[in-house]
Amino acid sequence: MVEPILKVEGIHTYIGKHHILQGVSFEVYPGKVTVLLGRNGAGKSTTLRTIIGLLSPSKGTIFLRNRALHHLKPYEISRLGIGFVPEDRGIFNLLTVEENFRVAMLQEDGRSRGMMETIFEIFPDLKKFWKAKAGNLSGGQKQMLAIARPLVNRNELLLIDEPSKGLAPIVIDHLIDSIHKLKEYTVIILVEQNFYMASSLGNDFYLFDDGKTVHKGQMEELVQNEELKKTYLGISSKN
Amino acid sequence: MNSAERKWLPKLIVLAIFLSPILFIHPKTYITLTISGLAMGMLLFLVSSGFSLIFGFLSVLNLAHGALFTWGAYIGFTSFTLINKWTGWGGPDSIFSNIVIFLLALIIAGLLVSLLGIITERLVIRPVYGSHLFQIFITVGAMIVMEELVRIVWGPNDEVMPVPMNFMGSWDLFDVVVSKYPLIAIVIGLIIYFTIYMILRKTKLGTIVRAGVENPEMVQVMGHNIYRYFTGVFAAGSALAAIGGGMWATFVKSIHPAMGGEVIVFALIVAIIGGLGSMTGSVVGALMVGLSYNYVAYLVPKAALGITMLLLVVILSIRPTGLFPEGT
Amino acid sequence: MRKEALNPVQRFHLEEREIRFRNASFLLRMLLLAFFVFTPFLFRSFEVLDVVLKIIIFSALVASYDVILGYTGIVSLGHVLYFGIGSYLVGIFMGRLGWTTYGHLALAFLVAIVISGVLSVLIGLFSLRIRAIFFAMVTLAFMEFTFILSSQLRSITGGEDGISFKLPGILAIDFSYGKFLGVEFTGRLISYYLILILSLILFLLMLRFVHSPVGRVLQSIRDNEQRSIALGYRTYLFQVIASSFASCVAAVAGGCFAIWVRYVSPDSSLSVPIMLDVLLMVIVGGMGTLYGGIFGAAFLTITRAFLPKLQVLIASLLPGVPFAIRLSERWLFYFGLLFIIIVYFFPKGIVGTAQEILSRRKVE
Repeated sequence: MVEPILKVEGIHTYIGKHHILQGVSFEVYPGKVTVLLGRNGAGKSTTLRTIIGLLSPSKGTIFLRNRALHHLKPYEISRLGIGFVPEDRGIFNLLTVEENFRVAMLQEDGRSRGMMETIFEIFPDLKKFWKAKAGNLSGGQKQMLAIARPLVNRNELLLIDEPSKGLAPIVIDHLIDSIHKLKEYTVIILVEQNFYMASSLGNDFYLFDDGKTVHKGQMEELVQNEELKKTYLGISSKN
Repeated sequence: MNSAERKWLPKLIVLAIFLSPILFIHPKTYITLTISGLAMGMLLFLVSSGFSLIFGFLSVLNLAHGALFTWGAYIGFTSFTLINKWTGWGGPDSIFSNIVIFLLALIIAGLLVSLLGIITERLVIRPVYGSHLFQIFITVGAMIVMEELVRIVWGPNDEVMPVPMNFMGSWDLFDVVVSKYPLIAIVIGLIIYFTIYMILRKTKLGTIVRAGVENPEMVQVMGHNIYRYFTGVFAAGSALAAIGGGMWATFVKSIHPAMGGEVIVFALIVAIIGGLGSMTGSVVGALMVGLSYNYVAYLVPKAALGITMLLLVVILSIRPTGLFPEGT
Repeated sequence: MRKEALNPVQRFHLEEREIRFRNASFLLRMLLLAFFVFTPFLFRSFEVLDVVLKIIIFSALVASYDVILGYTGIVSLGHVLYFGIGSYLVGIFMGRLGWTTYGHLALAFLVAIVISGVLSVLIGLFSLRIRAIFFAMVTLAFMEFTFILSSQLRSITGGEDGISFKLPGILAIDFSYGKFLGVEFTGRLISYYLILILSLILFLLMLRFVHSPVGRVLQSIRDNEQRSIALGYRTYLFQVIASSFASCVAAVAGGCFAIWVRYVSPDSSLSVPIMLDVLLMVIVGGMGTLYGGIFGAAFLTITRAFLPKLQVLIASLLPGVPFAIRLSERWLFYFGLLFIIIVYFFPKGIVGTAQEILSRRKVE
């Protein structure tokens, strides 16, 4: 029996007075990409933010292997080996690409440097623009920087929130290739509205509706299941 | 405005301020005025940079900043007086010992006031993170308390600020009168500016602070305890205010409990002109205000304050967020 | 009109108006007004009259500040500028120019209102467009600037020493008409009632303003600016209107102040400490409640007038150590601490918190 690397059970989260998450539960296994799907406002981003500690759950538990995360602060959670790529990418525009990585690097040692080599292999553009201001990069390059940054610490878990947002289809293809290569180094939880991207990368999926996890399964099944797709994602193969 | 225009506009204004008075003023007087203008600018930079940095990084409006300035001046005053009593280094004997005692007094003031700043941040500011409105209220209260504390400890009257003997007076270079102290102030100010610049640009700590000015949430998510950085930056900003206070007091040769209130308005204007959260902005803004004030004070004494207001109005009209963006 | 024939909004207003005259808080307000009216008869001491009148004037000033701060949500740190303009205009007309007639007094008020209105519109148009916190700092800078300006322009403003002046006719200090219920009808007494009436009118105007449709739009802007913009309101135009209304009120209050003390100077009408006082009063009383201004003004003024007496008492008990004496002398220090505690525990101010508790009880 393979143990899940992350276990989320019965999470309720409030933002102000609004009861956004009303019972979120899922498990993430090593070697797989887990995709969180659902309509706008269903609570996917809020879930990621709760895991990384930016929001505090009012009920429920989150366990990274055997460590409880739900009472910790974001910087503590991050140091346990979880990387976060937010919806707005969170890159520092006024800093250079090099400086962006510097902020990310928790330890400047041989391991990190080794990891940088790998990152350069997967994202060669970042090496090319190493000394450039991050704000001058193209949309696609910014997204790559955002994803590559947390990798430098060899995080075991990487949370990515809607990476395809605002990117042209060809860039998205490029991104999918890059993320495929990452699967070797880290376990990925992906939130995506772009079904094409989600189905290309995902192994396990969870469907969100109204702040709850309502359905789970294997990606291959979902691709075939028209009814689920229409109900929870508003996608129809017949246009 | 695109980035090309971004770059030349501030330089144009500074150049205009620097050069246009030559048309009206005799070159020798011009040099004297420029030096005192630069000195005043440096001192304003010290005070306003602390405020600007705290606002940029913590997003906190600290109206008690002026009180920290006052405390710096008073602690500097007491330190100087005490050390001088024990060692006599403030006397006319050697310029070296003068420099030592002066720097010691400033360092002590900086350290103690940064401690005061840390206490203030923990007790008074932490509860009101996120609400500029309540920050204004509570820091006004803190300012009153700190100012009154000065009156309680030192008494409510003006005091004469002692100046190291060798710092007083002036040199006569080619018939131009160059006051000694303003020159020293400029040098110290530049050293501090470059130190801050180096720390911000070259060290990891500085990089994290600059990143935090842009996006504090992201810095937290990347594994850094941002609250510790908040306290650190607040302490640094307070220390800058204190050093500014000590040096300003030596410049005007007197201290009184309300001195913070007088200078804070200028510092605020400098911070706004330069752009809140920008170190470069503080320097440029401070130099602009310092120079223009001195030139105009010589030409048309009553209009000196007016030129500062005019600068504020003009710059805010062309660039409402100040000359430089956050984090530069 | 029959209740059933009205639409829900009209019905709500009608019901509001009906309860208004019957509940306890209305009674309280009438009592307060009666107190102010009969003060000269209840207390023969001039000092008390002085304190009460200052409370009245500052209530109006603080309420005007509350209009922009509490109801519109704009933070200005230079509101006292308009108070100063009102004071100075009265002082300049009566004193510097020597035009001591009733007509000129009224003219002074009028000119002050116009100048304040126009000035606040200019400042507002200029600085409300940039970030709101800039507005606070820019207004502070402007007020400081005017303060220094008035200290320097001796010929017009009398510089740091200010202007002392006389008032016309029945307001003059040497006027006396006779007695009524044991109280002499002096110029002082008449000024008191004139100012009371003016302040009452101002207060009623402000109440009308915040409860009017314009006032309600302002509150919606304060609560959720994005929503208001989405609803089609040119928010910053409304903010400018509110700001100029408030500054006109402040100008009249300033004129009243000048009438009472018959003296204007930068320190007494235009300085940062006065702005701080107003800020303290509005916070202690409560933002978004005009009546909070009365409480805050009363709290601070009474404290300021009578605490020094308490100190003399305490100081006489302590040995002659300068530090200990100073510790007891600087009452402002304790006030500052008290103020921080009040902001921390009563963010809505005393009156605001009281209102909240009462409305919560009503629901239960």
